[in-house]
Amino acid sequence: MSDTQWPRFEVFKQDSHADRHAGVGSVHAPDGEMALLIARDVFVRRPDCVSLWVAPAQRISSFTVQQLASAAPPLRGSHGRGPESFEVFKKVHHKGVHTHVGQVTAETPFDALRAACQDFAEPPAHVWWLVPSASLVRSEPADSDSFFEPALHKPFRDQAFYRIQTLLRRLKKAGLAQKDGE
Amino acid sequence: MTPHPDQALSDWLLASADDEMVLAHRDSEWTGHAPILEEDIAFANLALDEMGHASLWFGALAELRGEDRAEYTDRLVFFRSAQEFRNIQMVELPRGDWAFSMVRQYLFDEAELLRLARLAHSQSEPIAQIAVKVQKEEIYHVRHTHAWIRRLGLGTEESRQRCQAALDELWPFAQQLFSTEEGAKVLVRDGIVPDPTEVRLAWEGVVGKNLTESGLMAPTAHEGVPLRRDEHTPHLTSLLAEMQSVARTEPSAVW
Repeated sequence: MSDTQWPRFEVFKQDSHADRHAGVGSVHAPDGEMALLIARDVFVRRPDCVSLWVAPAQRISSFTVQQLASAAPPLRGSHGRGPESFEVFKKVHHKGVHTHVGQVTAETPFDALRAACQDFAEPPAHVWWLVPSASLVRSEPADSDSFFEPALHKPFRDQAFYRIQTLLRRLKKAGLAQKDGE
Repeated sequence: MTPHPDQALSDWLLASADDEMVLAHRDSEWTGHAPILEEDIAFANLALDEMGHASLWFGALAELRGEDRAEYTDRLVFFRSAQEFRNIQMVELPRGDWAFSMVRQYLFDEAELLRLARLAHSQSEPIAQIAVKVQKEEIYHVRHTHAWIRRLGLGTEESRQRCQAALDELWPFAQQLFSTEEGAKVLVRDGIVPDPTEVRLAWEGVVGKNLTESGLMAPTAHEGVPLRRDEHTPHLTSLLAEMQSVARTEPSAVW
């Protein structure tokens, strides 16, 4: 039986123009455009987003420090397609997220990694992700109004909107709810 | 007899609010049942958006009638009978399969977006303000549902067939989107709401083009289900029974 699961896309969100794109999670989608739309609904429920990128997981080349320290370098070889642009993402703590640090031009993901190690040496990376720039689907600045702006007017998505604690206190005072631990 | 403009506006606001509210409820029925988790979240989001639009129109109606926005909205949504609702039948039909819900939402969204673009220049300031706000969200809705129509239409033979079947069934009902009651003519005359015939022509152009590009055929039969906003299918009664059950169990409850 064939696999009916849609391919996975990693989602990168930029919280403000002063921030870099950072990994927030993944979505399954039939293609990049759909992944971008779905990512907007899954990850932009609160108004802290100015841009979204999605990258097909299968186009992401991932290298850990352990792999780099081992004798056999992973993924050597050339596609012979000529130089192309790669987006470089770096995770600097094992609990951190992949954060965009810049671009390099290279013939292969491994060459891209070598360039990234040079250009973005500090702080030391825990895991590198190299993604061909052309494989990313990105929200356009013109999308902002319809993608991100509406979330500003939806306070009901915020937990604080419901004032559950205040309500509970009032109920307790009236003797209608059990006190904590009873 | 021409109704008083306030009465006409009142009717128009109620109709707009009810369309959005009933559609929002039908959409929300997919929560937990959509074909994939991510789309479950996305479509629930869209349902909430439509509910938000309904709430804006109900709010405008409350202002016009000098009522409290929140209390009046609850009263209208939860304590009216099916006969008192003024939504078109298109939005009360059961959710059907995924293709049916997507096609309905797409046809509705394209009409709504075209209407909002015109309402943004309404002579009525409150209506223009609501339209400008809702329009932004609606641009995203159309993008989302159009993306689905393309993928269903150009996907597998089964997805195309289901999509076409939904289109054939919904097309006559979709004509209700552009019908106008006698009373609304005065609003068109005063530049408060757009001329539905003009909106319909624009809709047919954009929808026809997008359907063709998606490997689907816009049905040619133009005979719509005649619009009577006070006439409903039995489906609305069962929808309301569920939607209103909690509020009616404890009418004095505070949200």
